[in-house]
Amino acid sequence: MTNLPPETRTDPDDETLPCGRLLSQVWADWEEGVHDDHTTQCAHCRLAVADLERLESQVRALDSDPAQQPVDAASFIDRVMDVVRLELRPGRPLPLGETDEDLRIMENVAARALRRAAEEVPGVRAGSCRLGGTPVDVDLSVHVPLTTPDVQALAQQIRDRVDVTAHERLGLHLGEINVRITDLVSEDEAAPRSAQEGSAP
Amino acid sequence: MTGNPPPGEPPDVEGGRSDDTLMTERAAEGDEDAFAVLVRRHAPSLLRLATRLLGDRTEAEDAVQEAFVGAWRSLPEFQGRSSFGTWMYRIVTNRCLNILRARRPQAPLNELPDLPAPAYTTAPDRITEGRAALHDVQEALSTLSPEQRICWTLRTLDGRSYAFIAKTVGISEQAVRARVFRARRQLTHSLGAWQ
Repeated sequence: MTNLPPETRTDPDDETLPCGRLLSQVWADWEEGVHDDHTTQCAHCRLAVADLERLESQVRALDSDPAQQPVDAASFIDRVMDVVRLELRPGRPLPLGETDEDLRIMENVAARALRRAAEEVPGVRAGSCRLGGTPVDVDLSVHVPLTTPDVQALAQQIRDRVDVTAHERLGLHLGEINVRITDLVSEDEAAPRSAQEGSAP
Repeated sequence: MTGNPPPGEPPDVEGGRSDDTLMTERAAEGDEDAFAVLVRRHAPSLLRLATRLLGDRTEAEDAVQEAFVGAWRSLPEFQGRSSFGTWMYRIVTNRCLNILRARRPQAPLNELPDLPAPAYTTAPDRITEGRAALHDVQEALSTLSPEQRICWTLRTLDGRSYAFIAKTVGISEQAVRARVFRARRQLTHSLGAWQ
């Protein structure tokens, strides 16, 4: 069945009930909660609706059957992540320390540490963190609380945290630190902090 | 005799939409821990979806696993035009459609999945009735075309709007309505016998 059926108003598989109404229309009306004097009184329409109602209630009952419920999502998730970890994308190596030192850190490892540093500022959540160039420039995207009184000051706080972490913890000399605020989020839009640590919901 | 129309698009993001966006950005940049958060958050609903579409849990797990691994590979190119949840929903649905298309037209009854023992909390009289009905419904479902089955399942079991299904499957809303109608007609016919 590769070709779509022609989009006609009347389906060739449709059926006209003895009362003259189309079965498709009777069912569509039922689904949308539309009814008129005819449908509430017509035995044919009521029978058609009863058939559909019985079908829907049967399959819904079936859907809650324990045999149909996926179990043990935890081991499934582990399996998925095992495959994913065979295909890591660590990014490029970045120079560490002085120019004459031959030390490198993988981009992703550094990005992870810098995101975490940004998130030490209360309410800040970090997303994209791209590193590159010589010296290494940082482009960091963050979501900050809607209630932030001074967004500029907050951005500066983030920049400072990132800079300190890069210097003191990684030994990475940074060039520019660009902080992009991509969203102002209210409390209920943001996830619980635990999601970031990866604890099961 | 009012119907019970399912809601349009039930929320499928449990951890917060904003956080999903951030985790998707991180995962796109190769942060596998962020991807693990997304997998944990979305796996249960996607497994439920695939199990409904395929009627077989093992096949469903394979389909969702492949969808996640494929997503991990293509995340660097993911433009974020839709949310991660919507994107995955689409990937899983279309993968299931292809699996249904690849199935032999008439699977013999003895190839239907064996049913595990139901939970002890289920009343015994309901088990017998329920298990018999399950077999009948699975048999009836196997007579639907893959396209009908997908559209009907998303509408009836997953409670999605016609517009949402049309977007997910990539056909017109009118075509979705026609498929759901045919599926209902076929199913009421097939199952009428055991009422």
